[in-house]
Amino acid sequence: MTHPNSTPGDARDDHTGRFVTQPNGHRTPLSPHMEVWRWHVTMTASILFRATIIAASGGVVLLVGWLAAAASGVDAFAAAGGFMGSPLGLIVGFGLTLVLFSFILNGGRHLINDTGSGLTLKAATTLSQIAVFGPVVLSVLFWIVLSVTGRVSL
Amino acid sequence: MSGPAKFRNNVKISERHGAGEWLTERVLLAALLPLGVWAASSAYTLAGASYEAVLAWFATPLNAALAAIAILVFLGFASLAWKVIIEDYVHKPGTKAALVVLLNLVCLVLAAASVFFIVRLALGSAPLPAGFGA
Repeated sequence: MTHPNSTPGDARDDHTGRFVTQPNGHRTPLSPHMEVWRWHVTMTASILFRATIIAASGGVVLLVGWLAAAASGVDAFAAAGGFMGSPLGLIVGFGLTLVLFSFILNGGRHLINDTGSGLTLKAATTLSQIAVFGPVVLSVLFWIVLSVTGRVSL
Repeated sequence: MSGPAKFRNNVKISERHGAGEWLTERVLLAALLPLGVWAASSAYTLAGASYEAVLAWFATPLNAALAAIAILVFLGFASLAWKVIIEDYVHKPGTKAALVVLLNLVCLVLAAASVFFIVRLALGSAPLPAGFGA
């Protein structure tokens, strides 16, 4: 044993690369930081929630713009509708449904975890997978129903 | 700076402030989850709707009230969430304080504008800029 302090636990025979030898010879677990932490879906869910809040804020600005158009008469309303029906508008619209469903599912995950529940590895992973992939499924379904019922023509 | 640490249920409670904002953020988020489901169903109803249909939707008091509540609760939540984001990434005290003031101004303007437009739509007011010199 060359280390001055042998580290307890599984550090010595660890093959996962999660332990590093510090300059003083100690074997310590790698600090969790964005660039040196093995990817896990919980991290993605956490980062996506902040991104969702930022995107949802942009969505509310667009929504207030739509309210202004609706309150400004049929011409302004038609202009706003024309943008929403354009290819760019449809992409933005799909993004906004993605953000809305992310907000609901990821916000739900955050609230559950905030109460101290769902923090076992298995539960946290399941909740995060729902929060990350659920919105994609729901948004695609939402737009399929919108086009099938003729509310939106692509 | 502060007195002896206070405990509740053997858990140390915040010595100054901040816990209140944390809790407020969670309560607002909890309110936003059902409001978000309602927003999704409203988006489905209003997608591709005619101008007359949109006006009729806003003329229903429940729709107009929930729309205003949803936007106001979201802006309250967003102001706290953005404050945390600013505090995470901006470390110069002056810049940080200025950005938080700016953030709250933007949220207040958005809140006032959305309530103004929703009330006009709900009351069936003449299209803007009626009443503002036109």
